[in-house]
Amino acid sequence: MQAVGVNYTRPDVYGKISGKAVYPDDIEFEGMLYAGVKRSTIAYGKVLSINIDEIKQLPGVEYVIDYTMIPGAISHGVIFKDIPILVKDIVKRIGDCLILIVTNDKESLKNALKQVKVEYEEYEGVFTVDDALKEDAPIIGDGSNILYDIKIKAGNIDEGFKEALHITENLYCSQMTEHAFLQPEAAVACYDDDGTLKVYVATQYPHYDREEVARCLNVSEDKVKIINTTIGGAFGAREDINPQCHAAIATYISKKPVKVLYTREESIISHSKRHPMKMHYKTGVTKDGKLCALKARIYGDTGAYASWGMNVLRKAAVHATGPYVIPNVDIQALAVYTNNPYSGAMRGFGATQVPLASESQMDILAEKLNMHPLKFRYINSFEVGSNTATGQKLVSSVGIKKCIEKIAEIAEIKL
Amino acid sequence: MIEVTLKINGKMYTRKINPMLRLIDFIRDEIKLKGTKEGCGEGECGACTVIMNGKTVNSCLVLAASANGAEITTIEGLSNGDHLHPIQEAFIEVGAVQCGYCIPGMILSTKALLDENLDATEAQIKEGISGNLCRCTGYTKIVEGVKIAQKKIINSQEGD
Ligand code: FES
Ligand code: FES
Repeated sequence: MQAVGVNYTRPDVYGKISGKAVYPDDIEFEGMLYAGVKRSTIAYGKVLSINIDEIKQLPGVEYVIDYTMIPGAISHGVIFKDIPILVKDIVKRIGDCLILIVTNDKESLKNALKQVKVEYEEYEGVFTVDDALKEDAPIIGDGSNILYDIKIKAGNIDEGFKEALHITENLYCSQMTEHAFLQPEAAVACYDDDGTLKVYVATQYPHYDREEVARCLNVSEDKVKIINTTIGGAFGAREDINPQCHAAIATYISKKPVKVLYTREESIISHSKRHPMKMHYKTGVTKDGKLCALKARIYGDTGAYASWGMNVLRKAAVHATGPYVIPNVDIQALAVYTNNPYSGAMRGFGATQVPLASESQMDILAEKLNMHPLKFRYINSFEVGSNTATGQKLVSSVGIKKCIEKIAEIAEIKL
Repeated sequence: MIEVTLKINGKMYTRKINPMLRLIDFIRDEIKLKGTKEGCGEGECGACTVIMNGKTVNSCLVLAASANGAEITTIEGLSNGDHLHPIQEAFIEVGAVQCGYCIPGMILSTKALLDENLDATEAQIKEGISGNLCRCTGYTKIVEGVKIAQKKIINSQEGD
């Protein structure tokens, strides 16, 4: 605890204020090639043909790589390996990777990517959780559109609502959010003298990246080295693989250093998003202002691939009550596949969306009770000894009551 | 191909270039100064900010050819050897730097602002850096850093 309340100078700051910090796009090697992927422009369908032979003839093009040329696994994913490195036939979202083009300069790559022509058989996709849960909905996930379904129950929900003087029932919807870190994805791969394949990348998980790169190359992990450069923001979106495998495959095939660099547009199209959530909340309060029951149904649009969807919805369920004691709960949270961009990690990881619902319910109930909303929170907030909805007894470090007291003191509110 | 000459951080560079080459590519790819960053390539984020003839520009929106003869300052031109510029010192002191990707541009916008108006008010500071997006910090520490830099520069001038 010596560091609390003390100012330290972060060791990496000198590079960052002088322009010397090295982000992946700042790395260059002699004879380096450039690689980029053509991404799907439709959300759901089958790839019928791609003009690969034509692309191979274009100036500066060295290799055109499709899924058949990947030496190992053709997909990746932090939990389920369901995100195609290069699509075999079915695309499930705008931005799926179709082919990887390797050229000897940036301009040729840009030009070649523009010349790619893809023929699709387009299918009717699903773009809302409601549509994805309909009986006749196309199945986007692995056998089902429900990736994850968690239930948390405590007490007796019917009895709980019987005790209530006021009940409020509302639907809250949160939006999809883009991380928009300032440094677009980039990676440089090259071979070391000893035959180790190195990937320079700004990543949140170098150890996961090593596993994924080794899998797709079909080599052992000790033949892969991930070098984490300075990271230009991440906020969760650098947890999934982005350019790592593409750069590594291009180097594996060409035996040359290769750089992959995203534009801002590709960055936004390609990586994960914050789950949009639909949250049905029914909350009851007794005449003394004590929360007595919560029924919550939370649906997260997890998009086309699993990523961290289950973990995010689990966290949403666990935090559904907010920091308040509610003895009777019936909570269910689902992660649902659609043909939208895939959702995954973003700051807060599911705990961020539910306060929109839980705290709005608090304000509405306080008004019904004619009680100050701060006081209403105070009398319901967790303290040492409280049980959370999941049955966890809080034994230490529960600061909310103290925090509210301080706010009340400063704002001159009577608790 | 056309020939251009730019003075960057006090040094003259002459190169034969494609007339469509952007100033940022000239700086990063031709001269190999990698401190200037590209965040969007379309004039939105300010990561590529450099000072051109005393004014900030988004180097992703300027053609290198149209900068022929111009005098450019990039982040590498700011410190004098190991001696940091007061803006850099202030940013370090206050903790204005997180991922760092916006910082070269942010510091150059601050420099251009304070070169023109050392007494800039908070509102003028905010306006001065409004073309530079920072996704990490929330700007509070950056604005504080600019204020500390003002004091540092004023004090050093009084010392002269
Ligand atoms: S890169 Fe030039 S403004 Fe964003
Ligand atoms: S410090 Fe990361 S964008 Fe500003």
